Amino acid sequence: MTAPSALIAATVEHLGHYAPFDRMAREHLAWMAERLRLGYYAKGEAVLAPGHGEAQTFYVIKQGVIQGEREGEEAWLELHEGECFPIGALLSRRAAISTFRAQTDVFCYEMDAADFHALLRLSQPFHDFCTLRLADLLAQSQRQTQARYLSAATEQQSLESPLASIARRSPVSCSPDTPLRQALEAMREQGVGSIVVVEGDARPVGMFTVRDLIGRVILPGTPLDIPMRQVMTPDPVALPSTAHAFEAALAMARHGFRHVLVADGGRLAGVVSEKDLFSLQRVGVTQISATIRAAGDLDGLRRAGEDIRQLGHNMLAQGVGAEQLTQILSTLNDLLTLRVIELECAAGGPCRHSFCWLAFGSEGRLEQTLATDQDNGIIFAAEEGEDPGPIRAGFLQMAERINRALDACGFPLCRGGIMAMNPKWCLSLEEWKGVFGRWIEAGDPEALLNASIFFDFRPLYGQAGLAEALRDWLLARTTATPRFLHQMAANALRNRPPLGLVRDFVVASEGEHADTLDLKLNGATPFVDAARVFALAAGSGATGTAARLRAAGPRLAVPEAEIEAWIAAFYFIQMLRLRRQHEESEEGRAMDNRINPDRLNDLDRRILKEAFRQARKLQARMAMDYKL
Amino acid sequence: MNWLARLLHRAELEPADARRLEAWRRLPAPERGAQLRAGRFVVVDVETTGLDLGRDRLIAIGAVAVAGGKVCLGDSFETILRQERASARDNILVHGIGGERQRKGLPPEAALLDFLDYLGAAPLVAYHVAFDETMIRRAMREHLGLAFRRPWLDLAAVMPALLPAQARRCRGLDDWAGRFGIANYARHSALADALATAQLFLAAAALADAQGSTRYRQLQELEQAQRWLQKGH
Repeated sequence: MTAPSALIAATVEHLGHYAPFDRMAREHLAWMAERLRLGYYAKGEAVLAPGHGEAQTFYVIKQGVIQGEREGEEAWLELHEGECFPIGALLSRRAAISTFRAQTDVFCYEMDAADFHALLRLSQPFHDFCTLRLADLLAQSQRQTQARYLSAATEQQSLESPLASIARRSPVSCSPDTPLRQALEAMREQGVGSIVVVEGDARPVGMFTVRDLIGRVILPGTPLDIPMRQVMTPDPVALPSTAHAFEAALAMARHGFRHVLVADGGRLAGVVSEKDLFSLQRVGVTQISATIRAAGDLDGLRRAGEDIRQLGHNMLAQGVGAEQLTQILSTLNDLLTLRVIELECAAGGPCRHSFCWLAFGSEGRLEQTLATDQDNGIIFAAEEGEDPGPIRAGFLQMAERINRALDACGFPLCRGGIMAMNPKWCLSLEEWKGVFGRWIEAGDPEALLNASIFFDFRPLYGQAGLAEALRDWLLARTTATPRFLHQMAANALRNRPPLGLVRDFVVASEGEHADTLDLKLNGATPFVDAARVFALAAGSGATGTAARLRAAGPRLAVPEAEIEAWIAAFYFIQMLRLRRQHEESEEGRAMDNRINPDRLNDLDRRILKEAFRQARKLQARMAMDYKL
Repeated sequence: MNWLARLLHRAELEPADARRLEAWRRLPAPERGAQLRAGRFVVVDVETTGLDLGRDRLIAIGAVAVAGGKVCLGDSFETILRQERASARDNILVHGIGGERQRKGLPPEAALLDFLDYLGAAPLVAYHVAFDETMIRRAMREHLGLAFRRPWLDLAAVMPALLPAQARRCRGLDDWAGRFGIANYARHSALADALATAQLFLAAAALADAQGSTRYRQLQELEQAQRWLQKGH
């Protein structure tokens, strides 16, 4: 007898709300529904455990919540209505690694392993869903981003490609003893703008470009018969051919070079120029950094500020990952800030006291997005017994000029007043210690909030030693005050990633933020906060979230793959924030961090859910460490 | 006259229908001792022209099987019995089976024989058995001349026996379904209600299992004890 269609149709309809069933052909869904059984699991019951042997059943949650547990860890995973398991175990025909336990009364659709494998052959979307790992999903999402932003006509080099595919092989080279004239003739013959100086077995020792001609040869009247070693730029920057193009871009931006050597095992393998990287781009990394370095006034810097934002949008369109993108943006923003400070310091006459300009918050973590305001301060040296008041007064005037100049360059003044021109945040080393010490002592919500901004400080300009002294003091104090770390952890756990019990995401239900969630607060902050606690506990001075997690890994005894999964999840959320800001800026609206998850495509929604789950795992780990 | 009417009716069955009925009669008796986690049970819900057991007629049967401790979505059944005249408007609003669909249903004999084929030798389960059983039994007698006597299990009595603490708050199927988070995709459709009842049956089986009752018959005994308790008070 044929099964009545009403029940099958209702099941197909129900499954159709969830990935991957929403993309499967209805006939395949009906095929599946005919084979489904419905099982019940009382709260607390194990649906599936490693001890059950080779996985025999494919489960889809019809209603209820299931928790995944692994030995030694509790609740690393939470599965909701419409989600399936244990895909990995079924694919590799082994036992499940985790115990899947009903957290509420649960009803599951269940299908035999044989039918699961038949469905894999039958339905391509189902096959893709089951076989692609999170990394593949991220790559797929990135390609979609690229496809969305790229105009079909422009052919842009992806910054993700390895240098091996971009570098010019067999670059023009000479020895350190080659006379300058001979080297210049070789460059003209080959029609290139640079020559690599190599020694012995193709070991690069220097670099010379046509741009060096003016300053080193023509103006000083250098004779053309001197050896290359006397005019070359020594110790050139070299990267392996497996390095990515963005690393070359980053090196160029940091050092202000237009060429980066490619060397494998110490032997020259090629040269990458800025032109190679950004030949089709309107604004290049080095172009901007050169503009910033050469800028003599605020006007030039203001234009550079606009270029940085434009570059950010362009790179986003190229599909550059969030990690690289935020690093490059932060590096360029650093350069710009540095130049602003240099100009203002020069205008204000010499400073009697040494000081260091500090970046806080996302700038301190090198995690700036496209919409970023100022978070900075000053730390200055004062003799023992010297009144810091008058010294501060001197710095405040300069700080205000710098803050206003940065504002003009596109970094809005901080609404919370966290800026060097605020006397509260222009302090001597001893005063900073006093302030940090009081926060650690108090541990109240305000102190914890401040700690989350200020403890991510990074020296930007001036006497880095002052910042280092403060860091050493801070790490010694926090590691010696477990109570404070405990309070920080508890505070961080109050911000739960918005995975809902009923719907996919918990979003604001009314008001101007109806149906949206805040990617910064709900998405990125749980990672940032947990990484800070882990790093402080491990006595690590790293300020970036990824660097902090990697630094804390050995102490946490968490497998590297897991740490990398946390980091990938964090950067995915950062990427969504950047994309959101890009879109808003294109539409001429104010940039914020709110998205409506319903408007995301299936793939991104699924990854975002997975990313939130990673945040929960991270939080579960922190809760376990601090017995919260 | 009753026996005469029955005789006449039986005489009216087409030979093919009579053979189907005979084949069903020859099936082995339902196994009351069947393990809840192993045997096949059929969970039933009906729609009728009203709530009067004596006067109202059967419109639809929805059923889904529970086998090996799972609800089998592919092993389900739904039929609409052709009505000579559609039921009243307020009744149509309850089950949503409109006059057109009522008139286009199967001839009652065919619909009921289909149900018997589907049922096989499985014991039955329902919520408020008295209603479902009476309606089905009368239709069987009227249209097939069959004395439909099968084992039934009533979850309306079993659930309070298993969870006495919840009995005060849970009075109907909806209450119990809510207690276990059971969603009903179309309340008052016989098949959807049967599915919800089947899910409740799984929960009942799990609870009974925890209390040491693993067989259908043991749940029937529990049901009887509960009825005796209810009468005593």
